[in-house]
Amino acid sequence: MIPFLALVAGVVLGLVLEPTVPAALQPYLPIAVVAALDAVFGGVRAQLDGIFDDRVFVVSFVSNVLVAGLVVFLGDQLGVGGQLSTGVVVVLGIRIFSNAAAIRRHVFHA
Amino acid sequence: MSLLVDMMRDAQDPSYAAVARQQPAAREQPAAVTRRRARGLLLLLLVGLATGTAAAGVRAGADDAAATRTDLVTEVSRRTAESDSLAADADRLRTEVDSRRRAALDRDTAGRAQARQLAAAELASGAVAVTGPGIVVTLDDRPEDAGPVAGLGRGGQLADGRVQDRDLQELVNGLWDGGAEAVTVNGLRLTARTAIRSAGEAILVDFRPLSPPYVVQAIGDPSRLEPDFADSASARRLASYAEANGLPLSVQAQDRLELAAGTVSDLVAAAPEGP
Repeated sequence: MIPFLALVAGVVLGLVLEPTVPAALQPYLPIAVVAALDAVFGGVRAQLDGIFDDRVFVVSFVSNVLVAGLVVFLGDQLGVGGQLSTGVVVVLGIRIFSNAAAIRRHVFHA
Repeated sequence: MSLLVDMMRDAQDPSYAAVARQQPAAREQPAAVTRRRARGLLLLLLVGLATGTAAAGVRAGADDAAATRTDLVTEVSRRTAESDSLAADADRLRTEVDSRRRAALDRDTAGRAQARQLAAAELASGAVAVTGPGIVVTLDDRPEDAGPVAGLGRGGQLADGRVQDRDLQELVNGLWDGGAEAVTVNGLRLTARTAIRSAGEAILVDFRPLSPPYVVQAIGDPSRLEPDFADSASARRLASYAEANGLPLSVQAQDRLELAAGTVSDLVAAAPEGP
């Protein structure tokens, strides 16, 4: 419950304060968010599976965000940034969906 | 395919399971647990913050676009109003010039003869409003609910069901052909110096943009104008094109039409030939 509240508080803070993101990082923010959400869903699923580990969560979170940003950055340098962003979003989207499905099975037993 | 299947099956980060196997339910110091929990909460707060910031950024962009659009619309209506008021000013001044000229010419016989010549020239050039019997031709874009256009458009391009400058030119040429003496398109009088052309997607008559439906009024001998117009090559081309592309086209005879005066600017460089 408290982690969920932290998430909501973050969203509200972001919407209200509208912090300025450095222009150079702006294109990577949405991708970083999707990657981070993937780590969060993975963490929630692990929690429900009873194998959650903070260290794994932090490491997967940081590496997810960094790798996603790096892939998109590389794509930008090669001129295929848009396509690679789509690819990253698709892959992470599929993972988020399957993790969400696993979470749903845990919570509703259905 | 196997890539997608793997992705679905191994959605769970395998390191969770690996760590769980290595240290089954290791007991930890309560302080360390608290520290780790705090770290996780901080990360979640960060995720939320990033999400909110990204969403706020997208919204700000949309707001900017909307604001720019509103500004442009305001600018357009302001300029249109300005142009309308200038046109009204010009009309007023023109009337004033006319009445002063008439008064000045009315003083002697030679002046009166010149005034008659002037009136005839003005009538012929379309500089004065005229009234008389004639026909009204209405042409419109293809209705949006009429389904896709079947035929090919001009030049082999796909027809888009929109009236183009060429259609209006055909229409007006057909009317001249049928003996029309005065023609207006959407209330704009055609003179010897009026162009019908297009700029982008808009049709311009006398360099003013029109919007559909296009109403073309023509004054002429009613017994001749309608059949001769219908019989002209231009009108037949237009009619077949309009039918093939579903453009609504209608012709209506009228006992009395009032056509506004056109804008006739003075000739500066051109002079009559001869001695």
